Amino acid sequence: MKENTFEQTEEINMAVSKKIIRVVFTGLLFAAAIVLSIAENSLQIPVLAPGVKLGLANVMVMYALFFLGKRYALLLAALKAVFALITRGAVAGILSLCGGLASILVMALLLAFFGERMSYLIVSIFGAISHNLGQLAAVSVIYTGLVALVHLPVLLVAGVVTGAATAVLLKFLIPAVNRLGLK
Amino acid sequence: MRFFKKSDIPVIAGILLISLALWGWYRISYLDTPVVAAIYYDSELVEVVELNLNTEKEFRIKQQPDVVFKLHKDGSISFLKSDCKDRLCIRSGRLKTVGQSAACLPNKVSVKIIRKNKNADHDLDIVIR
Repeated sequence: MKENTFEQTEEINMAVSKKIIRVVFTGLLFAAAIVLSIAENSLQIPVLAPGVKLGLANVMVMYALFFLGKRYALLLAALKAVFALITRGAVAGILSLCGGLASILVMALLLAFFGERMSYLIVSIFGAISHNLGQLAAVSVIYTGLVALVHLPVLLVAGVVTGAATAVLLKFLIPAVNRLGLK
Repeated sequence: MRFFKKSDIPVIAGILLISLALWGWYRISYLDTPVVAAIYYDSELVEVVELNLNTEKEFRIKQQPDVVFKLHKDGSISFLKSDCKDRLCIRSGRLKTVGQSAACLPNKVSVKIIRKNKNADHDLDIVIR
């Protein structure tokens, strides 16, 4: 059997450690998402629309997409949904999943079409808005007739605010994440 | 990727304008329409409450006596008390405009504001039976 050259071994080692870093980072984001989820439920935040949550934890899913890629973002969305399922029940789990998937879908499409020409702010805002709309869509399917377009304005504005906050926070995170050597 | 570009401003302004337009359109279309609150238990209509009575009242539905509603003087309705864990229903605040709704999912109670004498068929929703 042909032995690997030194360079090839180096490359394999680098690839493996990158993967390990990504997996660990996902775990970190998951832990942060759990904390945010608990915080969101503890604070008395006024409700925007039936069943729709503010989506603080979804910010972690957005970061996973930015820093780690689609695969890990989807993994995180699934983990979050399972956590919601275990702690808050089936409906919460479905809502969490729908919000996360919608958010990832829209953001991935934006990034694919516009690439570097997009700004973090716009992608975050659209991610937050689609998270809210995804949850709204899920609620209207489960509880037919409960939801109407009248809830849209609030969700759009909330998405803008949350998205903007996400992007601002991102600015502080990027230098630290770059040092991880993921790229 | 940049954080913020000048060309972001019109996009954000557009989103906010759409929100404003939708909100305004809704308010104007339903400004003078008499509205009622439809209360559902387990997806079945159990009670219809008149909203422009200018009275304050607390009441419950007999299907779920743990949930208390409050009818306000200004013609809005809200959840007042509930035995659910997360109190999302109460935190939904007062409902007044057609289409607004709130729900106490653990107790299977929901409220929706609709136009009087008409089903909520103006909205884009699907009824699957």
